[in-house]
Amino acid sequence: MNAILHAYEVTKEEDMVEPLDYNRRSRMKNFDKCFKAEITNIIRLTEMEKLFQLRMINEDDKNRFTFLPGQFVMLELPGYGEVPISISCSPSIKSIIELCIRKAGKVTEALHKAKRGAVVGIRGPFGTHFPMEKMKKNNVLLIAGGLGLAPLRAPMTYVIENRADFKDVHIFYGAKDPTQLLFDYQYEQWHRIDDINLQIIVEKPDELWTGPVGLITKLLDDIAIDPDKTYAIVCGPPVMFKFVCNRLKDMGVPMQRMFVSLERRMHCGMGKCCRCNIGSTYTCLDGPVFDYWSVMNLKEAI
Amino acid sequence: MIFKTIVKEDLKKLFNVHLKDVECVGPKQVATSNDGKAVYQFLPFESFDEINLNHEKTEYSAKTYFLPFRETLSTFNFKNGDWDQEIKYRKQQRVLVGLHPCDINALVKLDKVFAKDLFPSPYYRSRRENTFVIGIDCDKPCTDGFCASVGADVVTHGFDLFLRDIGDKYFVKVGSDRGLNVLNKISPTDISPEERKSYRKKTKEFLAGFKNTIRVENLPNTLDIEFESPVWKKWGDKCLSCGSCAMVCPTCYCYGVSEQISMDFKKSEKVKQLYSCNLLDFAMVAGAHNFRPARETRLKYRYYHQHRGFVESFGEPKCVGCNRCGRACLANINPVDVISDLQMEL
Amino acid sequence: MEYLGIKPNKPKVAVFDFSGCEGCELQLVNKEDTLIDFLSAIDLRGWREASSVINDDYDIALIEGSITRDDEIKRLEKIRSHAKVLVALGSCACFGGVNQMKNVFDLKKANQEVYGDKPKETAKVKAVKDVVKVDLEIPGCPISKAEVESIIRHLAWGMPFSYPVYPVCVECKQRFTTCMFEKGLMCLGPITMAGCNAPCPAGGLGCWGCRGPAKDPNYESFFAIARERGFSTAEVNERLNFFGGFQEVNAK
Repeated sequence: MNAILHAYEVTKEEDMVEPLDYNRRSRMKNFDKCFKAEITNIIRLTEMEKLFQLRMINEDDKNRFTFLPGQFVMLELPGYGEVPISISCSPSIKSIIELCIRKAGKVTEALHKAKRGAVVGIRGPFGTHFPMEKMKKNNVLLIAGGLGLAPLRAPMTYVIENRADFKDVHIFYGAKDPTQLLFDYQYEQWHRIDDINLQIIVEKPDELWTGPVGLITKLLDDIAIDPDKTYAIVCGPPVMFKFVCNRLKDMGVPMQRMFVSLERRMHCGMGKCCRCNIGSTYTCLDGPVFDYWSVMNLKEAI
Repeated sequence: MIFKTIVKEDLKKLFNVHLKDVECVGPKQVATSNDGKAVYQFLPFESFDEINLNHEKTEYSAKTYFLPFRETLSTFNFKNGDWDQEIKYRKQQRVLVGLHPCDINALVKLDKVFAKDLFPSPYYRSRRENTFVIGIDCDKPCTDGFCASVGADVVTHGFDLFLRDIGDKYFVKVGSDRGLNVLNKISPTDISPEERKSYRKKTKEFLAGFKNTIRVENLPNTLDIEFESPVWKKWGDKCLSCGSCAMVCPTCYCYGVSEQISMDFKKSEKVKQLYSCNLLDFAMVAGAHNFRPARETRLKYRYYHQHRGFVESFGEPKCVGCNRCGRACLANINPVDVISDLQMEL
Repeated sequence: MEYLGIKPNKPKVAVFDFSGCEGCELQLVNKEDTLIDFLSAIDLRGWREASSVINDDYDIALIEGSITRDDEIKRLEKIRSHAKVLVALGSCACFGGVNQMKNVFDLKKANQEVYGDKPKETAKVKAVKDVVKVDLEIPGCPISKAEVESIIRHLAWGMPFSYPVYPVCVECKQRFTTCMFEKGLMCLGPITMAGCNAPCPAGGLGCWGCRGPAKDPNYESFFAIARERGFSTAEVNERLNFFGGFQEVNAK
């Protein structure tokens, strides 16, 4: 060590000892440190999707980990890798985090084999959220296509828990066929207890299906909305939200009151690795929640 | 800024005597190209004679001393089905000498992303703070550089010491407290009016010597409007998607993270590897959907990030105009030609 | 060790050699620092070069060498019927390798050229995949042990495994090698799949493409570059045909 060059110890930086809180966004200690979480329950939703209930192992972390509906986490499976997953539960229950995960790649495949009690890592939460406060005192359209119900479930539970703050609430959900419907055990609750207009549509019905058949935009045919008093959250594949949002636009809903959640490959979650860039926008920092106006202006978003 | 002058011979003394215990890195010749030119790289040296501060431009940029091609982010140690996470930052001191304005401006841009933006990176900060940077001005513009067009021809900060050859002496800009400390080891002198004149004259000559330019005015908007321009296809068809441009670029920082479990299953390393947006699977997601399957869209994206995205975030282009990418590209895709092509699209 | 509730299995592995130099097999025993761990992660059921154990009960068969005789075809088919996973090891097994160069000659003439008046039985050289179904390929002349290890981790523990999609250039750059073209040498690096860590260019020899093509290589641009730099079509094609990884790819 040469004395004339001052040695610098990054771990002695003041903010290295601050408590973990990713939402403050500027703390160096957070950069790559995982919260440790245990899988407490696994709920099989379909062939391809499972809902994982996680609990922070460290007591302190339970209070440190707070998030807003729409944000995502980086889920770390040591040895396998890390994947971005949107949080699928209510922000008010601090002890439990729910992640709805499709078996799509190598990491999620391994996770699908994991059993209760397995310990995984969590970094985050990251990204933007749905503006739930702003949406209060308005009608809310919650529209999901396919796996889009997973990110939608966070704002949905928020709306349900604060039902009195919102006017009419509609949930429109479309899937390829009845076997792919997620969270079917909760429909009754959403529909009945919470005074929510729940409509489900499938493209390919089976013999037991009695509900409507077609594309999700069909559900919008039958409703009358007050465009000045309506917010919409639309989650699903780009082709789906494009059609839905354009329809809502035609119905008079301003583009800045429609929100979508985008999915991209991510390796950091913190605006560094560039993998999630759309044109030149970081999905992890400026998204994943965007209003439709912004999405329309993103090159290569749709 | 404090200005000093030092006798050239004293710089050698600084390295060979005062800094001999520290890892010193500078421009060393590693090969001779087919057309007889010396090829330089920033490499560790023992004696000052091994390096050449009059090098035109190194083949690779100095970024790898701050963002190495491969870096272990964490190590997970497994034990009885559980694991713990271990994180280490590099903190060994290092002196980096011979950086040109493009190299230092590149570091200043990387600072904006890794040290000053949301989520500052301790991996980067630790390396940056423990690296003593000595830059040197170019005598004349290099044959293919266009740093003047992107405002990277002069430096104002981001170094500890910055030299300009003014004949028998170096004119030194002192950029930090530790820079002054180090300089004081070799008894610098205050600048005389003649030395100041000579410095300014040399600088003026350098700035007047630029022949290579690109028109960056309104470039962010042009890029937006020309998103579907056939220019992209033209250059995309040549692109080998080999990533060489990003590897040698002093500011390209994008990366991928992968995990490698040891053969004895006791630990796993989470390794960051610098990547390139020109590589085929850069924007591929689980389930194999690729958001940028075509070469031209990947090539276009790189220009977008350089000249639009970075401008949106930080008010300046990411490119420093060194044209290392152009030199490294076998297909001769270079910013001057691509951007001129785009600006001509009318 | 059990991890994430997943129990890693210890796959039964056997190694078989066909027509080749056995250099790839040598690579398997080459990485001494992890050799013990490698051997304890698997249940070795047959490997002439490292063990005397011979057993027909195996899950994974690692096949080295190309197929050049009829009896080799029969032997390979038998191995396939035993193995759950069959891995082609090295350029010979994957593409025919150096051996397949004889395919452009008249077989009789080739036989006479090599063996004189004592001809041996020989047929057109085939890659393993031309004879039986191949589950995984590890190309390279020789193979990289690191890649074999990650395949074993993949098969034993389900760890992610994927080949780099990018060409050798990335690895050259990441080890600071000066470009072969810059030095006036021919190199297939820009179109060849990485994963070898580019040892040849680092040693001053342009790439010969032993790992076969990268994903979606830009042949047209590459051929144009080679032409501009004064390399003849014959020179380029000689390289492309050397290991057999670039079947039906030819500069014009």
